[in-house]
Amino acid sequence: MKEKINLDMPEVQPREQRLGTIIAWDGDIDELHRQSDFIGRAGCDRNAACKLCELRGPFSQGSVCSEQMVECQAGNVRDAVLIQHAPIGCGAGQVPYNSIYRNGLAMRGHKVENIRIINTNLSEDDVVFGAADKLRMAIDDAWTRYKPKAIFIATSCATGIIGEDVDSIAREKQEELNIPVIPMACEGFRSKHWSTGFDATQHGILRQIVNNHPHKQEDLVNVINLWGSDVFTPMLANLNLRVNYVIDLASVDDLARMSEAAATVGFCYTLSSYLAAALEEHFGVPEVKAPMPYGFAGTDAWLRELARITHREELAEKYIKAEHARVHPRIAELKKKLKGVKGYVATGSAYSHGLIQVLRELEVKVNGSLVFHHDPVYDSGDEQEDSLGHLLKHYGNVENFHVSNRQQYQLYAFLQKVHPDFMLIRHNGLAPLASRLGIPAAPLGDEHIAIGYQGIINLGETILDILARKKYHDSIKKHVTLPYTDWWLKQEDAYILAR
Amino acid sequence: MSTCENIDSGSINQVRYGCALGAFHSVVAIPGAMPIAHCGPGCVDKQYMSLDFYNGFQGGGRSGGAVIPSTNLQEEDVIFGGAKRLQELIEATLKIIKADLFVVLNGCIGELVGDDVGAVVEEFQKQGVPIVNAETGGFKGNNFIGHEIVVKAIIDQFVDKYAAKNVKRQKGLINVWSELPFQNTFWRGDFNELKRILEGAGFQVNILFGNGSGGIEEWKRIPEAQFNLVVSPWLGLSIAQHLQDKYGQPYLHLPVLPIGAGQTAEFLHKVVAFAGIDSKQADEFITTEEREYYYYLEHFTDFYAEYWWGLPSSYAVIGDSTYNLALNKFLVTQLGLLPVKQIITDNPPQIYRDKIRSEYKNLDSDVSAEVSFLEDGYRINDLLQHLNYGHKPPIIFGTTWERDTTKKLGGSIVEVGFPASYEVVLNKKYIGYRGALSLLEKIFTTIISKSA
Repeated sequence: MKEKINLDMPEVQPREQRLGTIIAWDGDIDELHRQSDFIGRAGCDRNAACKLCELRGPFSQGSVCSEQMVECQAGNVRDAVLIQHAPIGCGAGQVPYNSIYRNGLAMRGHKVENIRIINTNLSEDDVVFGAADKLRMAIDDAWTRYKPKAIFIATSCATGIIGEDVDSIAREKQEELNIPVIPMACEGFRSKHWSTGFDATQHGILRQIVNNHPHKQEDLVNVINLWGSDVFTPMLANLNLRVNYVIDLASVDDLARMSEAAATVGFCYTLSSYLAAALEEHFGVPEVKAPMPYGFAGTDAWLRELARITHREELAEKYIKAEHARVHPRIAELKKKLKGVKGYVATGSAYSHGLIQVLRELEVKVNGSLVFHHDPVYDSGDEQEDSLGHLLKHYGNVENFHVSNRQQYQLYAFLQKVHPDFMLIRHNGLAPLASRLGIPAAPLGDEHIAIGYQGIINLGETILDILARKKYHDSIKKHVTLPYTDWWLKQEDAYILAR
Repeated sequence: MSTCENIDSGSINQVRYGCALGAFHSVVAIPGAMPIAHCGPGCVDKQYMSLDFYNGFQGGGRSGGAVIPSTNLQEEDVIFGGAKRLQELIEATLKIIKADLFVVLNGCIGELVGDDVGAVVEEFQKQGVPIVNAETGGFKGNNFIGHEIVVKAIIDQFVDKYAAKNVKRQKGLINVWSELPFQNTFWRGDFNELKRILEGAGFQVNILFGNGSGGIEEWKRIPEAQFNLVVSPWLGLSIAQHLQDKYGQPYLHLPVLPIGAGQTAEFLHKVVAFAGIDSKQADEFITTEEREYYYYLEHFTDFYAEYWWGLPSSYAVIGDSTYNLALNKFLVTQLGLLPVKQIITDNPPQIYRDKIRSEYKNLDSDVSAEVSFLEDGYRINDLLQHLNYGHKPPIIFGTTWERDTTKKLGGSIVEVGFPASYEVVLNKKYIGYRGALSLLEKIFTTIISKSA
């Protein structure tokens, strides 16, 4: 039996311990799916019995940490404040996440304002003598300045090492202020993959914000997303369902009412795995366990499962039929225009599975992809969520499939093997290299762009736009050299130093 | 600790600088040099996305952003120490990455767990690898402090070792220390202009950072310079002092980075006088430049003199001490604008603060300005909202953090410093002769484009 998610622990269990997450692997989807053993793993002790062979080499380039993911989630709750108990360097994240937050607020029609993150600015003395009072004062600052409905506290590598007791200060302040004060263990060194930061935020919200005595709303659906444009409201309106977007750009009340919803969905299991599974296990909100809503097969199945849970099967069938008819002609046109085009997907894990599906719907050839990490199983352990398996079963193998945690130097070798015409990316750091090789990339900052039936059209049109930009990238290619040695550029095996 | 002197809790909302490790950007700014970071998995990305990407979208170039090797330290490194991990990373880096100089920067984790990075790096130095070690734990201070640590490390562990021996000082050759690369959104254009005007006046210039730098060959010539020129209220002074102690090299400290014809001529005259070179070339250069500068200003005059709706006069600058003072000098002496409050955000060490304040007491014979040293964005914006700007809304020279306040005040925001997340900057400059013209375009386009 699968273990229930443990919300009694103050600290979330890192992904590698819960799911067996890996960050380096080389092969194809067929093999990765076999080694992942989704079903077997779901039922076994994930720490011990079934291990994926993970590669580990001496070279690495700067990656991403869990605390950044906490900033991009807890820091984006509209009427909360996030405190970074950290030296000032961690505070640098306030700048990118402010820009993203502001643009996200504008895109969703909220009032645009600066992000509210406070850094405790630990000095050399603080890391020697401890900084409990600094944290208390920062919490007081947050309270007197903003009167927030919740205060989140992110730990840092420095506080983790010096052993700051953030939990008890949070408890003390929660009692004093009478609002949730939520510690999140997200030290960068604590997990090998930054997606643990998603789980740390979600863990804290589940423990301290979600309403324990909900009045159920049979037409409310939690949508676990980031800042993406509002595609779910009009889509779910066809099923007479209302959307509760969480966690980014949500209010604390939105987070509290997650337990009132009739179902939980997501756009990517990497992000939604923990929260959706825990909402079901601890609050009785069913998680829609289905392939993710990408491409026809995925979207059909996803809508049907949502409809089944919320008892709206007829509405769903009507919507599915109408949408198929609506999008087919434009998709047929796009297929003609994209004939012979080859694409490469370099994104987070489950998201890549979804995007490859959409590309293959458009008959774009995909013979390579890299993901930043791989979760062999998700928290629910339900086979319906086996996104890699769904991709394999409905859309076939991807021959060159790599797990590479934003390691730009490896991307060079990957691209030499597959020579794509374009790339889909989400996180920064890889497109700059592709560009220098003459390969344009489409950044999917709006993560909803490829969702559902309209998403197939959106993605097709996005690809046409960026293919036209190849002119720019070709001119750059002619005029720059890469920082890598000739020896490295000759290597066909991107993992050679790890074998 | 002279670098962390905040009042009250010391907490910082709306950061206006990175940490000492963020000074890897000073390495990225040297053509051919490559940082190697010994830190957590997110540190490099954070500093890059902040100081570089969402700050004018400057871009990492050849050696920045996701290229930078990093140990991405994990729990086991924290428990058992990360020195071994660093050693294997450096070995692999030498196989994979091409660079003329490697600079290892130690972060919070390495410093806290006590990794002996110096010893690891020394082994490579012994083998003749051009590599240096800088102790830049994030809790040691900000990236301004980190910059001085990094530069001194390069001087002591690389320049000193590889510079030609017993060469004579070269009259007219200057090492320039000014803005903080990348932190200052416009440093690339500014450094080019600084080099151009100094060369125009008859000097040879080791600009050391950016496109105009000759990379490590130029750095090796640092000891050959006649003197060091520090153009900023405080940043770089300790470097110049260090070089004076080390090589007996004198330095000239000019706190005002020149913007516009008046300041630039004054600046060049001072440098020429200090160097003791013939001023003929400088005088001719100034004449030629002023002819061009005032050609454009003459045409700008129609707008400035009779724009139908009038133009705002009151302003506040929120920025690091170098740009803050430079802008104030220009706005007051060239345009006749009226300073309301000037907020300095780079946390200058206490010993320099009175000197900085005194610069503002005498912006011009008839104008002085009040200065506050603040770094917390909440307090900065709270202050800005409660000032009296007179009958017209002000011009706010600030950062992205001041956009909301400026909107509330009905004013105009000119993003002149980190973070400038709504500016795309290539070689735009705001200093010297040509930069002043860009600045005028920027200020007044911003003001009039919001009118309808």
